[in-house]
Amino acid sequence: MGYSFDFQSVSFGPLWEGLMVTLELTVAANIIGVVLGFPLALLIMSRFAPVRLPAMLFVEFFRCTPAIVQIVWFFYCVPMLFNVFLGSMTMGILALGLNLMAFNAEAYRAAIQAVPREQLDAGIALGLNPLQRTLYIVLPTAVRASIPVLLTNGIGIFQQTALVAIVAVQDLMYQAKTLATETYRPIETFTLVALVYFAVSFPVSQVVGYLERRRQLMMS
Amino acid sequence: MALDFSIILRFQEALLLGLWMTVKLTLICIVLGCSLGFFIGLARTSRSALLRAVSSVYVEFFRGTPVLVQLFWIFFCLPLILGVELSNLTSGVIALTLYMGAITSETFRASLKSIGPEQLDACVALGLPRRVQVTNVILPQAVLRAVPTLLSNCVSLFKESALVSAVGMADLMFVGQNISNNTARPIEVLTVVALIYFLIAFPLTRAVTLVERRVLTKLAI
Repeated sequence: MGYSFDFQSVSFGPLWEGLMVTLELTVAANIIGVVLGFPLALLIMSRFAPVRLPAMLFVEFFRCTPAIVQIVWFFYCVPMLFNVFLGSMTMGILALGLNLMAFNAEAYRAAIQAVPREQLDAGIALGLNPLQRTLYIVLPTAVRASIPVLLTNGIGIFQQTALVAIVAVQDLMYQAKTLATETYRPIETFTLVALVYFAVSFPVSQVVGYLERRRQLMMS
Repeated sequence: MALDFSIILRFQEALLLGLWMTVKLTLICIVLGCSLGFFIGLARTSRSALLRAVSSVYVEFFRGTPVLVQLFWIFFCLPLILGVELSNLTSGVIALTLYMGAITSETFRASLKSIGPEQLDACVALGLPRRVQVTNVILPQAVLRAVPTLLSNCVSLFKESALVSAVGMADLMFVGQNISNNTARPIEVLTVVALIYFLIAFPLTRAVTLVERRVLTKLAI
């Protein structure tokens, strides 16, 4: 092959700025997802159908449609439907945050269902009211049990942030696309950017693996 | 503003063509990706350190980078490196097959690992030859256990296939976006596109749960 590599022409400034935008999106979406995912999980487990069904529909809709469709839908339709015009960054955070909320709600639900029945019985025996039982028994156990999945989902959303490049949010992927077109150096740019994404995701997925192994050891 | 969903009917054919592209791409990549994933899963548990290292790097890399970046890389860089023109469909198939191979290899690996050592001990006690151990004891169980996760991998692939619209392949998402831009009716068109994806993916996820339950009862665990 007659291709000569030239990493010199790839300027790091825009890529660095892009990475910061990507990280900002990731952190903000994770805050929304981790915090609001829990109440959403409680809603989908509610005994009252009028509460449960809309919550389930919300979760299933986000889990069963492509993230890119959700993001494009969000950017085009929300301003028209609700007549609100937010900055593209805010829109990106909201779209990704809602998506993560749905996935995390499922993670919390699985963890809540795994809380042993005896613990709840003990809570009743001690005279704790339902709110206290949720806060002091279910929440700590379930959150701890769901940490590996929450981390996996968090890193998943880090990768999904690349999608906002399509709606012109200037994240890492967007900067890469611009740079690749401007410099005619797609190989260098996209390889470098792939490595950057990898360098962030890989350590986190290793931590998840470690946590899961430790948990299995503790269970056995 | 007034919503007018009847506009969809005018573009029915285009949307169906797009859907067909999405389904075709997904099915091709399911077949190719699952086969690739099976061998990679075996390679990751192989005794050869080289084979293990190469397959691990491949899997970790594809799991650790956004699919969109992988797609761009394969669409724009692979033809330059290989020095040949690749058609859109070929590039799309290569990219999504590699992605599918990486995620299904993890599924196969996990299901291979889940077969307890006592089963192998039993094989030894029964004096079964190695080939029979693999084909009659390990393989059927491993595949059976992998089925529910493989199904959900297929659903993921179906959803990820929408990304090819970003590199100009005329799948459902691409057609939908084009129509929505040309008619200036994003709400109707994009909502219908989302609904089509949902109507396919949702029953599949329900099927995953059903199959899971049946596999579990069949294995009696």
